[in-house]
Formats: sequence, structure tokens, C-alpha cells
Amino acid sequence: MTKLIITVLGKDRPGIIARVSQDLFDLDCNLENVNQMILQGQFAGFFIAEAPASLTPETIQDTLARKSNGNGLSIYVRVLDPADTAAADGELFLITTIGPDQKGLVARFSGIIADYNANIVNLKAVFKGGTDPNANVMIYQVAITQAVDAQGLFAALRKKAEQLSLDVRIQHKNIFDAINKI
Amino acid sequence: MFEDHEIISTIEMVKNENLDVRAVTLGVNLFDCISHDLSRFKENIRKKIIGHAGQLVDVCDRVGEKYGIQVVNKRISISPIALVGAGFTPDQMVEIAVTLNDIARTVNIDFIGGFSALVEKGMATGDKALIAALPQALAETQRVCASVNVATTKAGINMDAVFEMAQAIKKAAELSREDDGLACAKLCVFSNIPQDMPFMAGAYLGVGQADAVINVGVSGPGVVKRAIERNLANGPLTLGKIAEIIKRTACKVTRVGELIGREVADTLGIKFGVVDLSLAPTPTVGDSIGEIFQALGLSHIGVPGSTAALAMLNDAVKKGGAFASSHVGGLSGAFIPVSEDLNIANAAEKGFLTIEKLEAMTCVCSVGLDMVPVPGDITEHSLAGIIADEMAIGMINAKTTATRIIPVPGKKAGDKVHFGGLLGEATIMDVPHLDLKDAFVTYGGRIPAPIHSLKN
Repeated sequence: MTKLIITVLGKDRPGIIARVSQDLFDLDCNLENVNQMILQGQFAGFFIAEAPASLTPETIQDTLARKSNGNGLSIYVRVLDPADTAAADGELFLITTIGPDQKGLVARFSGIIADYNANIVNLKAVFKGGTDPNANVMIYQVAITQAVDAQGLFAALRKKAEQLSLDVRIQHKNIFDAINKI
Repeated sequence: MFEDHEIISTIEMVKNENLDVRAVTLGVNLFDCISHDLSRFKENIRKKIIGHAGQLVDVCDRVGEKYGIQVVNKRISISPIALVGAGFTPDQMVEIAVTLNDIARTVNIDFIGGFSALVEKGMATGDKALIAALPQALAETQRVCASVNVATTKAGINMDAVFEMAQAIKKAAELSREDDGLACAKLCVFSNIPQDMPFMAGAYLGVGQADAVINVGVSGPGVVKRAIERNLANGPLTLGKIAEIIKRTACKVTRVGELIGREVADTLGIKFGVVDLSLAPTPTVGDSIGEIFQALGLSHIGVPGSTAALAMLNDAVKKGGAFASSHVGGLSGAFIPVSEDLNIANAAEKGFLTIEKLEAMTCVCSVGLDMVPVPGDITEHSLAGIIADEMAIGMINAKTTATRIIPVPGKKAGDKVHFGGLLGEATIMDVPHLDLKDAFVTYGGRIPAPIHSLKN
């Protein structure tokens, strides 16, 4: 068996998940994980599946592409090394910025996070412009391992936020669990 | 990952609604410090308290920073000094208070509580010495808090102690005349005092507790008020629905307190005790119990309907908090301290809240007549009468009640008084018949414990 990651991109519409999962089933693939999201009407889906050893990734990609031909979907299949599937370690912090929209915000903040070698495990950014303070928000979920200079990272993020007139909050994930989850 | 609104609303609570942890209080048992020799006793308590509390402020600040929730006050509660220092004279008790004040300064905490005695059924030598020492001990120190429990539901009310406490309060006020009787802001008289309370001035570490323990007092009146307002903005609600909103909000606030308290306890290697579910206000706009009353549709705290509103608020806070944490204790309810809550102080100044209505409201709130400035010329008899009335409410209803009354020397009803910091400021409340010298409170003895059946 070979572990594969299948990425599906295209304009969102009913039936994309049904189409792809049926095709994978027909190819005797076993689904392990599926995740999807929709951004401004565009669908992005990730399927992790075990495929029979007799099928190459190219065969699967060709088959899926042929079957969804005409639906405007872009499909990519890649072999997944089991060693690469371990979850990121470290403590999770949420870094939230709220404030005026301007070009390069994500590039600047993610650049600082990368400089300190911290890993972004989830990111949501919404920039609607306007005067509503909550309309321009970035929410980074970042894994901070022992090796990361957390104080240095947080100080650098706060400094950058101040330069850009953004309100930044850096809080351990558990506080959001405590308040929002029961 | 969380929903955007969950993250934004959490941030709003901290940023605009004053969500914080009001107090992390380290309880330290001092029974193993006992010595007949005063200097050895002082050395023992210094060593033990600093040994446990040396890192307290630092750890609270670090944990607060990690979660983005400020721990506003770091405090220490200790075993009752009347017990652990039972062999000492009043003068020596004052020396102990000065040592405690110095220890508090060393570990950088604002208050240390436990200069206390438990005298509901009678006074032992140590209790007498401590009560005699109270005025001077409180006037000479800034960070020492004292409490004396004079009543319980099972013992009744020790009326000798009530009158002695009225005398001690008057004397403490006089000794701190320059500061408007500030010494009395650090002195509570209790009925049914809890052993694990993190809030000052009444915090002490009870005899049934662990050697060292972390108790947490949450805050959050601003969060409750905004939750009510937000929901009412979407259309009218019944009071049942509003109670549900308060309950859910109290649940969230409590979980924050427990998370932070447990992490502080784990980091210090100390047992976690309880979360006290009290809604504790500060003298800041937006962090007020009085404003919750206005959100509930009452023009001011103290007007007709206030006792019912407080009953609902207090009960909903307890229900939400009890669900959120398996270790709940202390006072757990809504505080209505006059000078510490800007809105309550204003209601008192404008005459919407009178001392009689305040007393009625304490029947359903978690504490009592708290931070109430009264004219300095109130007689010991009238003061003792007010204390006895408040103790009776606690005794009969099997709940904690307390008084923290400040007779402000040289000032009259309507005059302003400023205590500073979290103790706030207020207008001195009018006390009808404050010049009486009625004999009732001088008869002494004990008002017997109440019957526990035939409740009506």
C-alpha cells in the first residue's frame, strides 16, 4: 500500500467531494483523512488515502483527472512519506492582529515567525477594509517548541504591530479552550 | 481551530470588558512555626512564607502573560495569628503584624491576610491579645489584613466579641485619622467565615487546609454586563433567559480563573485549592457590579427591585461557576463593596442606595456591608448594633456575611473619602440614629445558635 495526498482545487459547487471520493473508492483506495475549505467561492480539498501498490500515483492522477474532466477541477497526487505525517510538536499560541488593512501584512508577520523558526499550523486572515475594527483580522496558530526563543518572537511581533498600528494579542491556545469549549 | 467569533469575543473580554483574574492567593500554614520565643517565631514565619512565596509574583506575571489574562493581585493568606501566636501579648502581636508587613513588602505583594481570630463561641488568650492589638497593628502597617469571626450558624453570635470589635474599629479609625480611617479598610468582622477565601481583607488559611495552597478569585462584572447588554440589543428577554446568560458567562470566567490558578500552582509545586466565583468589581468604569443592575433595567443599584436582581445575579454566578469547576469555595457570589465600585459609590452618594437597603441586599449577596464609610462620630453602640444585625443575617441564613465599616474620623454624612487604589473612594453614607447608646449590645454573652428545622 502507498500513502498518497490528493489535492483538489476548483470553483466550488455541489458534488466535488462525492465525485472524488467515489473515484478513489472505485480505484480501491482507502481514505484516511479528508479536509476541505472554501475561500471566496473556491474549493480546496485534501484527501489522504492508502492506494493499492499496483497503482502508481500517475495512474491515479490521470484517472481522477479524466473522470472529472469538464468540471474545471485541478487534481494533484503525490506520494506521502509516513515519516512526514507526524504532528507538529510544541505549545500552541494564537497570535491575533486587528487593525487597518495594508499590503504585505501576512508577509511581514509570517516572515518574523519564520525568522524565529516557529511553525504556523493554522492561519486565517480576513481583510475587508472599512472602519469595522474586526473586519481586518489575522489569526495565526503557531507551534512554539523548546528551541524557539518565544520571548524574542513575541517582542518582535509586538514591535512590528506597533509600527503598523495594529493591535496584537498573543495568547496560549488553552485560554480559548477554557472560554469556548466545554 | 476556533471560530473567528470565538477568538474575537475572547479578546474583547480581555480588552474592553476587564476580564482578569482578580486575585491569586497563596495560603501558608504557620503551625510549624510556633515558638514561645518571639524573635524565633518571627524568623520562622519569615523563612516559611518567603520560602513558598518568593516566586509568587513572578510566576503569576509569567502565567498571566502566557494567556494574555492579567493576574491583578497576588496575595498571601496565613493561619490565624491568634492561634499560632497564642502565647504572645498584644504588644508582641503588633510586632508580628509589623513583621508580616515587612514580609509582604519583601515578596512584593499588596496584602497578607490572616491577622485573624475565630471567636464565635468564646475568646481564648491569643484571641484577646490579637483583638487588643488590632487598632495599633492595622494603623502601623499597610499590607496586613485582619479578620475576626464572631458568629456561626452552629455557635450563634458572640456579642462580647461584637462589642469589642466595634470598639477596636473605632480605635483603629482614630489611629489612622490622617488617612480617613484607612486601617478599618483592612479589617472584617465575619459570620461563617470561609477557610479558603482568596479575597482580602478576610482571607486567612483555615486549620483544615494543606500546608500551602493556591486559591484563586475571579473577576468579571464587566463581562457579565456586556453579555446582558449584547443579548438585550437583539430584542427583549425574560429574566429566566437573562439568568441563563449570566450563568454561561460566569462559567467562562471561572474556567479562566481555574486554568491560571492551576498553572500557577503547578509551576510553584503547590496544591491547587479552590476557585472563588465572586464577581469582584474595581473602581473602574466597565468593571462594576452596579452597572450590571443598570443593564438589568434598574436605574440605580439600591432602588426597589435591587434585592431581587441581586438574588438572581448571585445565584446565576454560583450555578455557572459550580458547573465550570469541581473545586469551588471561598465566598462565591457577587460583591457589593461601596467604595470599591464606582457605580455603587455614585448610587450611595445620590441617595438611591441607603445603608438599610444595603443591609437588606446582603441577605442575598455573598458578603455583607463591605467598604462602607460612615460618619466618624457613630457610637460604639450603634456600630456594634450594625455589626450584630449583619452577623444575624449570616447566622440565620447559614451563609457568610461580614462588615467592613470605616467610621471616618472628623467627617460627616455626605463628605467625600478617598482610600486610593482598589479601595476606591466614596461619599460617607448617612446612618440614622448613629448617636444612640442602646444597652442591647452591651449585655454581652452569646445569642444562641438558631434552630435548624421549622424554617420559615
